[in-house]
Amino acid sequence: MSDLKKHLLKGLSDSVVNMDESKTIEIAHEFIKNSFNAYEAIDQGLADGMEIAGRLYEEEEYYIPELMMCSDAMYAGLDILKPHLSKNKSGNKHKVVIGVVEGDTHDIGKNLVKIMLETAGFEVVDLGRDVPPVKFIETAKEIGAEIIALSTLMTTTMENMEKVMQMLKDEKNETIKVMVGGGCISPGFANKIGAYYSGDASKAVKLAKSLVAEAVVC
Amino acid sequence: MLTDKITPMERARALAKGETVDRLPCNPNVANGVARVYGCKISEFNTSARTIANAQIASYRRFGYDGVRIFTDLFPWAEAMGAEVSFPDDNTANMAKPAIADISEIFNLQPADPYKDGRLPIHIEAMKYLIDELGDEVGCAGGIVGPFTNAFFLLGTETLIKLMFKNKEAVHRACEVSLETCIRYAQAIIDQGLTPTISEPLSSCTVVSPAHFREFGAPYIKRLVEYINSKGKPVTMHICGKTAKIWEDIVDMGIAGFSVDNVVDLKKCAEQIGDRVKILGHVDPSAILYSGTPADVRRAVVECVQQAWDAPKGYVIMSGCSLPVETPLENIEAMMDAAREIGYPVNPEKLEKMLSV
Repeated sequence: MSDLKKHLLKGLSDSVVNMDESKTIEIAHEFIKNSFNAYEAIDQGLADGMEIAGRLYEEEEYYIPELMMCSDAMYAGLDILKPHLSKNKSGNKHKVVIGVVEGDTHDIGKNLVKIMLETAGFEVVDLGRDVPPVKFIETAKEIGAEIIALSTLMTTTMENMEKVMQMLKDEKNETIKVMVGGGCISPGFANKIGAYYSGDASKAVKLAKSLVAEAVVC
Repeated sequence: MLTDKITPMERARALAKGETVDRLPCNPNVANGVARVYGCKISEFNTSARTIANAQIASYRRFGYDGVRIFTDLFPWAEAMGAEVSFPDDNTANMAKPAIADISEIFNLQPADPYKDGRLPIHIEAMKYLIDELGDEVGCAGGIVGPFTNAFFLLGTETLIKLMFKNKEAVHRACEVSLETCIRYAQAIIDQGLTPTISEPLSSCTVVSPAHFREFGAPYIKRLVEYINSKGKPVTMHICGKTAKIWEDIVDMGIAGFSVDNVVDLKKCAEQIGDRVKILGHVDPSAILYSGTPADVRRAVVECVQQAWDAPKGYVIMSGCSLPVETPLENIEAMMDAAREIGYPVNPEKLEKMLSV
């Protein structure tokens, strides 16, 4: 790898970590101008920065606002790089339907998981917030998603997670896996309703990868 | 279900004087679940002060817990200042749209009039009924969402977060006008004879950094606490999620009690700040009270008491946050019964024994 390319990749990663949107855009332009591969810029630059940001979050150096600013920088870079991606680079993508369950409008956590899943190569359909249980299942079936990811921050809405599980059970659907997370969700609750638990955004990516890997083996 | 020998008010007065009582105070924090006890829809709370009060009274009568409160959701103050709230038929209200769509409108934000705007007059009326009927036997509180958290609802969560990095003055402006609403509402609570409590969920280290909390949250919350204290009232504050890094800031505000989330190390909290504030907490509202069995609840209560019963400024058995609406009533009973079984003074050996049964 050329020194310049290495330097720019590091710059992309750093500017995401430093929440510097304009710097990210500037370096992304420079990267393209030098005819380097846009996919590498996303994978080894932007996503690397988000991964470091996620680690800083786990270490409680960064908090949700910092992560949001990092993701803004990442998205700004993505906008520049995306048009330069060669088609079919990553083949058939695994699909995820994500949303905040009905009764809750807090979507920061959900947005982070979405970004992390996308950068990890998943195709994510985002239903937004305050989503009725049935909508998750309809959409998942429509697009052939293997995973439904449910988020909530408020204890008052946990019953709606259970409803999603019950609906899948009622129609004996075993192909769609459900992962849950959010402020008030515990591993015990996930277990009780038969869903997979993830404690934060970066763990959600690991979990999603293991869920689709399992699906292939089965 | 076991029964109590004295009223919560008698218990609180005796404890304050250092006298012996029958048991530790216990407040499961039933929230809108009172609708399930009373038999009404949660949406009725949006229009009927009588129903709010009746449901609170019915739930208190059923369980005998140590504290009732008028507080239906996080949004009445933002709503009274122009935010849009959606009201499900039988669940807790949600934020639909912040009070302003664009930051250029920030100077349009005005403090709410608690006797005129949104649902605030309904809540104040409910406070009157509550204190008339229960004021002699149990502590009656009016809940307020603190100025920092409320500011998020005025501007929208994501907008405010970005402004913390890009336009600090706008955040301060929103917190300032938010504080004025809180102060007016606190005064209204005090005028009805109740005691204000503050909920500040978005101050949590699970959401914002301690640095941001110190810059944008703490100064305004402190002014609210100081206002309430200046009227001769103590105030308890609840912050959801992680808080260990801001405990000292919280104590410095001059609060009388701190209600801690179940993700917090209760023992450490009691050890570090229990000499200056009363500690309330922190039975897990989701994994234990909503999803667990009565036996799980009993064990969790004992474990909490083990960690904090000897906090110098006192300890109240409480859930870590408002209970989910559909929390099984037998679990709430189990929480109260565990407090009654533990009794007073707390005997650590008895606690050990309770865990082994």
